[in-house]
Amino acid sequence: MLYNGVMQQEVDGVLVAAHELKAPLAVLRQLALSFEGAGVSDERIKNQMVSVSERALRQVNDLSKIRRLEDGLFEMEPVAVREVCDAVTRELRYLFRYNERDFTVKYSNKMKLVTANRELLYSVLYNFLLNAMHYSDAKTNSRLTVRDHRGSVRVDVRDFGPALPVEVWRELRYGQIDKPLPVAMRPNSSGLGLYIASTFSRYMGAKVGVVRHRDGTSFYVELPISKQASLFGV
Amino acid sequence: MIFVIDDDEIMAECIARWAKDKVKKFTNAIEAMNAISDGVLPDLIFLDILLDGPDGFTFLNEMVSYNDTAKIPVVVVSSLDLSKYNLAEYGVVRVLSKDTMVPADIKERIDEYAK
Repeated sequence: MLYNGVMQQEVDGVLVAAHELKAPLAVLRQLALSFEGAGVSDERIKNQMVSVSERALRQVNDLSKIRRLEDGLFEMEPVAVREVCDAVTRELRYLFRYNERDFTVKYSNKMKLVTANRELLYSVLYNFLLNAMHYSDAKTNSRLTVRDHRGSVRVDVRDFGPALPVEVWRELRYGQIDKPLPVAMRPNSSGLGLYIASTFSRYMGAKVGVVRHRDGTSFYVELPISKQASLFGV
Repeated sequence: MIFVIDDDEIMAECIARWAKDKVKKFTNAIEAMNAISDGVLPDLIFLDILLDGPDGFTFLNEMVSYNDTAKIPVVVVSSLDLSKYNLAEYGVVRVLSKDTMVPADIKERIDEYAK
């Protein structure tokens, strides 16, 4: 009963989001207190504070973008997938290494342009990759792959860590995430990020999904090929 | 020996930093349970509830079910509001809120239970 009562608090989408956004603030507070003679270098504490706050800011920004979707402010346009992937991986490489993790990137797509909104696609891939970082075992390499897939371009982000619980996989497999889900109850990761990724993907007419592996999970987004690209074969 | 179990590595580092004594950090309950099975019995445990994999309650149930671990004091450190629940039957001696705790809270619990 106790277990159910406590966990029920987390199933409400707003509460999950609130908890997830509260977690980095609690960490920042502890880090700020660490300046008082903990015998740790100020530089390390400062770097941790910057890293935690940047992630939290991005999530808050993404949440506010969800509200702005209704206003139709994000236009669809031909977007070069590789360029967006490169930008996201450039931003997150440092964070991965800081957390003793890394990732590889592989492009095998012939179709280069998709119909998307660059800003939203960036957020989708950022959240997938950040999720992979949190769920990967230490010293493992996550994997971002881009390939052609049945008339679309598919971006997979694979992590190597604990297998996704089957009940969570059932909820996520078709990418219809209507509210933040406590994917594994892990603070500052996943539930909220996947909700954001799912919402943005649907807005762009893209499909998101999840593949369960015995040693981790892949999240993917399938992006429609740009008609402009089809005309010119790029 | 003090165990800190929290899947947020930076938070775990903060708690360990304030504990100062001999601390072992774990990012999930399974690793901590394995360490205990290997014979490492801590004097005190700081435990988060929302963990990746088995959560804090699973860990607490394991702890109270064995004779050699049932009496190890556990301090729950969580952002959840647990004030309505009686956790004493789970071996929990204190609940600290991540939102409001200060380093002295950690030190006092160590002085109280692990000295």
